[in-house]
Amino acid sequence: AKVSNSSMMSDADKTVLLREKHVKFFTRCLSVLPQRYETYDSNRMTICFFALSGLDLLDSLDAIGGDRASIIDWIYSLQVLPSECDSALGSTYCGFRGSKAAGGKSSSSIDDCPYDGGHLAMTYTALASLLILGDDFSRVHRPAIIEALKLLQLPDGSFSPMVYDCENDVRFIYCACCISFMLNDWSGVNQDQAIEYIRKSQGYDCGIAQGPAMESHGGSTFCAVASLALMKRLDGTFSDVKLEGLKRWCVQRQQTGFNGRPNKPVDTCYSFWVGATLKLLGCYDMIEKDFNRGYVLEAQSPMTGGLSKYHDTHPDALHSYLGLSGLSLLGEPGLLPVDPALNISLRAVQHLHELRH
Amino acid sequence: MSDPEDDKSDAFVLYRDRPEWRDVVPLRQDDDASVVAIAYSEKFSDVFDYFRAVLKADERSERAFHLTTDAAKLNPANYTVWHFRRILLKELTLSLDEEKRFCSDIIREEPKNYQLWYHRRILVEWMGDPSGELDFTEAVLEQDSKNYHTWSHRQWLIKEFNLWDGELVYIDELLRQDVRNNSAWNQRYFVISSTSGWTPDVLKRDAEYTVQFIKKAPNNESAWNYLSGIVVGQRKSTYGGLKDTCLEMLSNHIQSPHLLSFLVDIYEEEALDRENDSRNDSLPQALELCRKLGSEVDTIRKKYWDYRSRKLEQDYRESQ
Repeated sequence: AKVSNSSMMSDADKTVLLREKHVKFFTRCLSVLPQRYETYDSNRMTICFFALSGLDLLDSLDAIGGDRASIIDWIYSLQVLPSECDSALGSTYCGFRGSKAAGGKSSSSIDDCPYDGGHLAMTYTALASLLILGDDFSRVHRPAIIEALKLLQLPDGSFSPMVYDCENDVRFIYCACCISFMLNDWSGVNQDQAIEYIRKSQGYDCGIAQGPAMESHGGSTFCAVASLALMKRLDGTFSDVKLEGLKRWCVQRQQTGFNGRPNKPVDTCYSFWVGATLKLLGCYDMIEKDFNRGYVLEAQSPMTGGLSKYHDTHPDALHSYLGLSGLSLLGEPGLLPVDPALNISLRAVQHLHELRH
Repeated sequence: MSDPEDDKSDAFVLYRDRPEWRDVVPLRQDDDASVVAIAYSEKFSDVFDYFRAVLKADERSERAFHLTTDAAKLNPANYTVWHFRRILLKELTLSLDEEKRFCSDIIREEPKNYQLWYHRRILVEWMGDPSGELDFTEAVLEQDSKNYHTWSHRQWLIKEFNLWDGELVYIDELLRQDVRNNSAWNQRYFVISSTSGWTPDVLKRDAEYTVQFIKKAPNNESAWNYLSGIVVGQRKSTYGGLKDTCLEMLSNHIQSPHLLSFLVDIYEEEALDRENDSRNDSLPQALELCRKLGSEVDTIRKKYWDYRSRKLEQDYRESQ
């Protein structure tokens, strides 16, 4: 249909958070997605996280009602357990999968299917989802996950998400740091090496790229700064000049909302990636809040709920969640406050602290 | 990414209807009462049921390879498909040239998919031969001159196979097409850092090069970031006549926030330099520019410019 979401948007819609619509959008994500989401088949765990955390920020987890236990069971069913047959393999492939698309059975080990191992982004989003649902991590194989982390860090300090051949960059340093933080065990991460990779990934413009020499980018800048914050190594990693440059680079991203690179279009998700970075750097108050808020609200889809990268495009789970998370940083009424490093509600973080005592 | 042509044409036969696959028991995704369920098409379920079976049995055959072709086209984001496909490519010693062509076809449709670019890199590594790769990246960049994956692949090619020659010319062409292409500016920094390095002559040449682009488009953040970046080892306030160039632009009523910001940096440097006799004049100049930026020229960053002002005054006091 040619009719765009935006043309259906009343002026009121543009200034109001459409809470109920977004609750419905996320609960739909948790149940059934239409056929065009086939390409998300390997990443369903991340969609689960976006939906759960979105509902959590909307203070609407009760919308999932009695499904809470079955969602927790589903998440655990995606855990890859240590191999029993091959002690040499041991923890190698442990962690969580995105789905059982590769054929492994629920709660299986690599013995069941040799190719169906864990993936760092899925392990991170699985653990975060469990926290949001109030789970106590009692079924999490912590030592196996930490052991697997050791095998996933490369000599240059970056991480690959899987033990199989895979790309490596700052995104997976972030996943590794979130996992370590949530499990309160940093023995799987060589922090000095990870920090060295981050420092080498800072560009001439003081933004941070996916890796050395690449273009500075809002997403990778967040992954780097949030990793440092989680490692409690933000202080002292950057020189004063580089730190001031980083702050300026981030502040420069704001046009109305934020873009991810100079001279690129604004996109809803950077209200979180760049916003959270500024929060962690202690500069969030430097942004122009009304313009940012206005941009994100206009990216809402009044018919289906959810948010898009720009107004007038289809919403997706990632932009819906990050849009709300970005609004939460602004202190938007109707949203719970979000932790800028872990990207989950402060309430979920509180639950994490309670687990440790 | 299912191809509507495949669904409609008589050509595609479901695997469960193929006699030559009769010996394989399809494996459904173990997903009772699942969360984030996807309404897979019949074809998608069929192909992946057989893929799962083949994976579990670790069947390394030609028919398994062709199955991964269908699977990859349906879901190019499934990293297990690509991983297994690479195993088959090696084990069956299949044509890597043909595989690169296949990879190119899918990249054209899904140019922002991580798995595709990683697959391509591995193929090129195995072949030890980058022929056609730079051209391929240029073709993709013609569709989207800022595709992050493409630039990343191009950087890898150039480093791995020493393809530095001609890159600065290519970047220059891109900048003449779009002076605001931040990826191209970044690439320029990458090439020069890795080849000649920032010798005094190179730095002088590049500063002049950048200033030319700045004069044509004074409000281009990318060029100003580049200029600031390359002169980081110098004193902005005295290097290469940059201060005069900026003041001239200012007197010509160029209202670019980046120009004013660069001048703030210059005056800040002067103000904090104990050995500068006229540093007392520089401080108010810097503060006035911050005020102008915050209230007129770059109002969205007013609070940032207020911060810069306060910091400047504090740093100045501390430097006394």
